Amino acid sequence: MKQMKLFLGPQHPGMHGNASVHLFVDGDIIKRSYLLPGMLHRGFEKGMERKLWVNNISLIPRVCVPEPDINEMAFALGAEKLLGLEVPERAHWIRMIILELARISAHLMSYGGLGGPTGHYTLMYHAHADRNLILDIFEKITGARVYHQYIVIGGVRKDLPEGIDKDINAFLDDLESRYLEYRDLGIENPSVIMRIKDTIMLPAAVVWELGVTGIGMRSSVGKPYDIRKVMPYARYDQVDFEVPTSTYSDARSRIDIKLKELVQSISIIRQCLKKMPEGPVRVKPGHGQSMRWTVPKGYVYSPVESSRGEFGYYMVSNGGTNPYRVGVRGASYPQGLLGIEKYMPGTRIDDAALWVDTMGICSPEIDR
Amino acid sequence: MTNSMNNVEFVKNLVQAEITPLGVETVDRYQVAFVVAPGDVHHLLLKLRNAGWIQLSYLSAVDWLEENKFEVVYIVFNWDLPVYIQVRAKIDRDHPVIDSVLPIYPGAKYYERECHEFFGVCFPGNPDYEKQLILEGWDDIPPLRKDFDPQAYSDRKFPQRVYTADFSVTDEQNTKLTKRQLRKQRAASLRGGVQK
Repeated sequence: MKQMKLFLGPQHPGMHGNASVHLFVDGDIIKRSYLLPGMLHRGFEKGMERKLWVNNISLIPRVCVPEPDINEMAFALGAEKLLGLEVPERAHWIRMIILELARISAHLMSYGGLGGPTGHYTLMYHAHADRNLILDIFEKITGARVYHQYIVIGGVRKDLPEGIDKDINAFLDDLESRYLEYRDLGIENPSVIMRIKDTIMLPAAVVWELGVTGIGMRSSVGKPYDIRKVMPYARYDQVDFEVPTSTYSDARSRIDIKLKELVQSISIIRQCLKKMPEGPVRVKPGHGQSMRWTVPKGYVYSPVESSRGEFGYYMVSNGGTNPYRVGVRGASYPQGLLGIEKYMPGTRIDDAALWVDTMGICSPEIDR
Repeated sequence: MTNSMNNVEFVKNLVQAEITPLGVETVDRYQVAFVVAPGDVHHLLLKLRNAGWIQLSYLSAVDWLEENKFEVVYIVFNWDLPVYIQVRAKIDRDHPVIDSVLPIYPGAKYYERECHEFFGVCFPGNPDYEKQLILEGWDDIPPLRKDFDPQAYSDRKFPQRVYTADFSVTDEQNTKLTKRQLRKQRAASLRGGVQK
């Protein structure tokens, strides 16, 4: 039969963000596929070179829309490494609370995204409703719902508002009480299982070939390869959490791990709220006016664990008020570009959206 | 997974047994950087991959305009011995060619393509490094080079619009206009200082 070209995205219920997957299909089997990025390219890396170190805080959250806080964290960590700056103890704990809330929100969004390709929109409505509650908490803490610009070089912008721990705990209790319901709606639901079980496999050998990190890697390799565990930043070495893994990576096991990570994040936030000391939350990275702050010469790569894998900023400073070069390692780069090109062929059309969803592909961080 | 400085020392010994790096920087206990000659890059990366640094985390370049050099950067990671290794090599800016690392790290394919697109570095050995990836129909020097001026590009590419219809307000009693002017003046007086 003749091959036919199909587009998955940029407008498609199974596509996350403005990227397009070009599929060449024979019947409903994909023969060749590739990702066409570039629809969200706004020259972030060039823009960062042209902005001051402080100003960049307002630009970097835009690199990944569903989970902006990891950008701020990676940028701040890198700059602090170059500056040799010690962040106040309380700021570390606040950062962890923010990052874990963001992880829950990103996982919920991605789990809800499963509703698109499988046709279970109830799942999406539930997940987005709960994500909205997290955005409410973010609004109380930072004043903004999506782009918080809260984690800055030297700590966090402002201390937590009074009584926020009650709100956070109430939300966590609520989410935890409905965890089983969530599982029943999605991955325990027989009709969803039939769609996601044994599809879009990712063998361990392929992981190393692609350079996939995060849930994709952990679901396949079966080892706790999580940057929070392997090389802890902030105070992740002082909280107890497990890294869920598996050795059989199909769409279902990856989503299962996502949900298990959600439980771990809940536990981390609770520990943070308990262990968090009082004190200052921010130190100034320089003297005088913030427009004149400089960062010493140096090269640094600062990775953090995002909901999709290793997310890093490569930063070069030449001692000036602006970064000399900032490179963003998007967590979804390997699975988004090489993964779609090499490992999608051979699967069915309707599984393409499952790969995009379960591997966590965020198009703005591929484009930058 | 021991988290001590010994890991970095181990890496240093490992690298120095293979080649003589031009420079070594220890960033922190999880990261070390080696500046090497462009000829040593592939030998070193192959050794590192065989020693367990199987993940290529990042590949890009830095433009040093004053020295007339490009600095190609490879960042590799080993999950069992958590040390990030930066391997950096400076190549000539007028003739930016370095062999692809595709046979060592298959994941480098798109990184090299992007690096060619944004810096103009050529990677012979990578079958499609010259194809366009993100910038559709780009017609200027690669944009992340330091001598590329986005402002000038945008002025040239998108000429300023000229409006033929006249929408200016002719009413003499227009209080909105005076209010707006006052507001502008106040904002200008508050701003102060010169923004670079």
